[in-house]
Amino acid sequence: MWMEHPGWVLFGTWVAALFTLGIATFLYKDNPVYKFCEAVFVGISAGYWFVSYFWQTLLPKLGYPFYAGVKTMFVGPAEWGWLVLLIPGTLGVMMLLRLVPKAGWIARWPLAFIVGYTAGLRLITFLQSNAMTQLQNSVQPVVRYDASGQFLGWESFNILLVTVGTFAGLFYFFFSQEHKGVFGRVARVGTWFLMITFGAAFGYTVMGRMSLLIGRLDFLLADWLHLIR
Amino acid sequence: MARQQQSEKCASHKPARMGRASGILLFLMLALSASVVFAQAPNGGAAPRSASDPQAADTKGDEGGSIMLRWTLSPDDSAGQVTGYEIFRAAKPDGPFQSVGFASRGSARFADGSTDDDSAYYYKIVTTGPGGSTETAVIGPARSTAEWFNSNRANVLVIGLLISGAVLYYIASARKGKKLFIRRIAGLEAVHDAIGRATEMGRPILYIPGIQDMDDVQTVAGVTILGYVARTIAEYDTKLEVPTSRSIVMSTARETIKAAFLSAGRPEKYSDDMVNYITDEQFGYVAAVDGIMVREKPATCFYMGAFFAEALIMAETGNSIGAIQIAGTAMPAQLPFFVAACDYTLIGEELFAASAYLSNEPRQLGSLKGQDVGKSIAMLAIAAGTALFTLNQILRVEWFASAGQWLKNLFIVN
Amino acid sequence: MAENPTEMKTGLFDRLMRIDRRVIFVFISVALIVPLFFNVSQRIQVSPEVQMLNDAMSKVPDGALVLYAMDYDPPSAPELQPMAVAAFKVALAKKFKMVIIGLWPQGPQQANMAFETATHDPLFKDVKLTYGVDYVNLGFQSGNEAVIQKMGSDIPTTFPRDYAGTPVDQLPLMKGIKNLGNFDFMVNISAGYPGTREWVQFGADRFGLKMVSGSTAVQTTEMSPYVGKQLLGLMGGMRGAAEFEQVSGYPGRAIKFMVGQSVAHVIVIVFIVIGNIAYFATRKKRGA
Repeated sequence: MWMEHPGWVLFGTWVAALFTLGIATFLYKDNPVYKFCEAVFVGISAGYWFVSYFWQTLLPKLGYPFYAGVKTMFVGPAEWGWLVLLIPGTLGVMMLLRLVPKAGWIARWPLAFIVGYTAGLRLITFLQSNAMTQLQNSVQPVVRYDASGQFLGWESFNILLVTVGTFAGLFYFFFSQEHKGVFGRVARVGTWFLMITFGAAFGYTVMGRMSLLIGRLDFLLADWLHLIR
Repeated sequence: MARQQQSEKCASHKPARMGRASGILLFLMLALSASVVFAQAPNGGAAPRSASDPQAADTKGDEGGSIMLRWTLSPDDSAGQVTGYEIFRAAKPDGPFQSVGFASRGSARFADGSTDDDSAYYYKIVTTGPGGSTETAVIGPARSTAEWFNSNRANVLVIGLLISGAVLYYIASARKGKKLFIRRIAGLEAVHDAIGRATEMGRPILYIPGIQDMDDVQTVAGVTILGYVARTIAEYDTKLEVPTSRSIVMSTARETIKAAFLSAGRPEKYSDDMVNYITDEQFGYVAAVDGIMVREKPATCFYMGAFFAEALIMAETGNSIGAIQIAGTAMPAQLPFFVAACDYTLIGEELFAASAYLSNEPRQLGSLKGQDVGKSIAMLAIAAGTALFTLNQILRVEWFASAGQWLKNLFIVN
Repeated sequence: MAENPTEMKTGLFDRLMRIDRRVIFVFISVALIVPLFFNVSQRIQVSPEVQMLNDAMSKVPDGALVLYAMDYDPPSAPELQPMAVAAFKVALAKKFKMVIIGLWPQGPQQANMAFETATHDPLFKDVKLTYGVDYVNLGFQSGNEAVIQKMGSDIPTTFPRDYAGTPVDQLPLMKGIKNLGNFDFMVNISAGYPGTREWVQFGADRFGLKMVSGSTAVQTTEMSPYVGKQLLGLMGGMRGAAEFEQVSGYPGRAIKFMVGQSVAHVIVIVFIVIGNIAYFATRKKRGA
């Protein structure tokens, strides 16, 4: 394919490298080069998503099967399965009516369908995977002994920590009780656990961001400048 | 530079260490393979003894298309002479048999998930090992069927109904005008001050309702809070900017702000330009929002909704321009950045609580209270279950363990 | 003013509190760039989660049918691509039959690139794979978790064509694959929604899929509660990738990049410590 021609690949690498550097200039301060790169990126990505939805969702999910179904009406043997496509198709058109000021309210119906469907689907899965299974895992003795009856201090401490953290964390998100007195103290413990969790998550993110930067630097130094292997 | 030299120095030691390590590894592997040889010796490398007592029956509680096979492990299973169990299937008892799957050593069940409902199938289980293979007698016929109700998960239904019932009850109560108590949420009190500050400084307010679509309940909460913010803004006469990353969110936000301005008695102040669609692409969106922040220097930034990696970038840029920042999200991974970079953060469910609190809407209030019932169940179960199991450990009274297990079983999902 | 040593010290702390962020950028950049030029490596300690992941993958019998769900796109590739490459190398070594899909539009393309990198490893130069027989790439399907739900009952109607547009009934590997129940194992590489959480909720908890996951560092703390019964192993971020490369025996880019990563982490820690000292010192001064 022409896109795999070395010239094109080289051109693509240069464009990518220059845009990477252009966006990176923001680290110094806002400037016209950054603004240009930003505008190009926003424009291309909006266009990309449109094209991607069109070719990867709209046509294969609705357009092609609809066309194939209608065709059977004329060149037989007639199939009726395609009629079901009228439902999502109609809902889609209703969604687009948002663009017509007077008929904008119609768009609420497909929206209600999406919200209702997603809520139903997620209610059960979250209840099952995130509430019940996790709860089941949280119920365990906080005092542990090994087979010979020796007290396992460290393991017991760890389990105690998890149990107290889960309980206090849950309590922090209990809205029917003002956080005062004993309740306030339990909620305060919950806040500490939350903050420690956030700290751990922050650490992970610093790592993630560094990784992304390394990825870009590797692209610039290896793929673009060929300074490293 | 010194650090670099040091790491190079470390690296130069590496091959020697690695060489030693691989030497040890080689020795261990040799020792291990020798022990495997010895372990196999009793049966002299012959085929493993067959699995026994095979059974095939419809997988219960599914939507059909699956037959569950169970067997008793080969007596040689734990001796390392078995690699696994291959499942063969045929439409007639005398074959031809075709392999439909493989269960690894130590597993005594296999779900054949490629059956046609109500067709008869015959199975045999072949125990394979390095020394050969042996097979069970043919079993069958087994047929798969679909069930309407998965009795294994009745507990999910009961707990689901309990929580949903509580939600409905509280919604009904709220509709009847009963005052439902919700605890004070610290971050909310800052909203008014933040809007006032922007007004005093004559700078705009930036509101980001997350980057997910309207089907995400966090976006719904974000847009609800936007309604409250917009109502206050309408009274103050401050400029509001809402860049969105989803077109439906854009339309919903416009309607919400319009309604808010109307209810504040300032419909003429509303303009569609307050809300703009940028792009669905996450980083494209954040690049544009960063640009808006740096150029227009909003005095206050709100981030209320579902956020991903862009959270840190936005909150950090907002911080660098000295804006007052109030955030709220239920995305656990993004909360740390908001907590670190913002002045106030609504943590997790506080976002929904804030939305319910501000809107005073029966449905939102009722949902929140209903969920509190769910949380009470969870907290009670954790406290009681943990206490029972711990007492059993300390006092060695079996009854505590049985009671604890009974409680735990209520939440086991098969 | 500068004659008083205490004031000089607080002056320094004040300056540290106002340190230009660009100074930090320079430090970090240098820390990340310099190691790239040297062929240095560091000892990598394997975490229990990654060890579990490797054990789980090792236990999958050779030739098993494995689902590879690639739910990420180029922005997360530096972290996730090495995981995908290493996971494919394990597949090549264990002769897994692979079905590749993506719930992210660019996932299948990332998968193809990772697959190509894995097959180009000299270790696997003798491995000859036939598309459609040994592996297939079914491409992207929109619908997020609903796709997983539907795959639980019927894969051929969920993915009627593969990535290249070939009808699935023309792919020999897809014959006999009806639903998720047919897979012996699954590897998910995930950058967000839809991803590991949805696969756990729908694939593992609902359809009993045995799965492991590689996730971006950002969402690792969110996924770790699932490790155990729901998730048989988890690698988080580039460190997770490097650990997996190490423990699986296929060193790659993640291990190479870890040195820079570690040096940068040390610098970040130093700045945090300095920042905190300065913060408390200036606060004391303000309080006084």
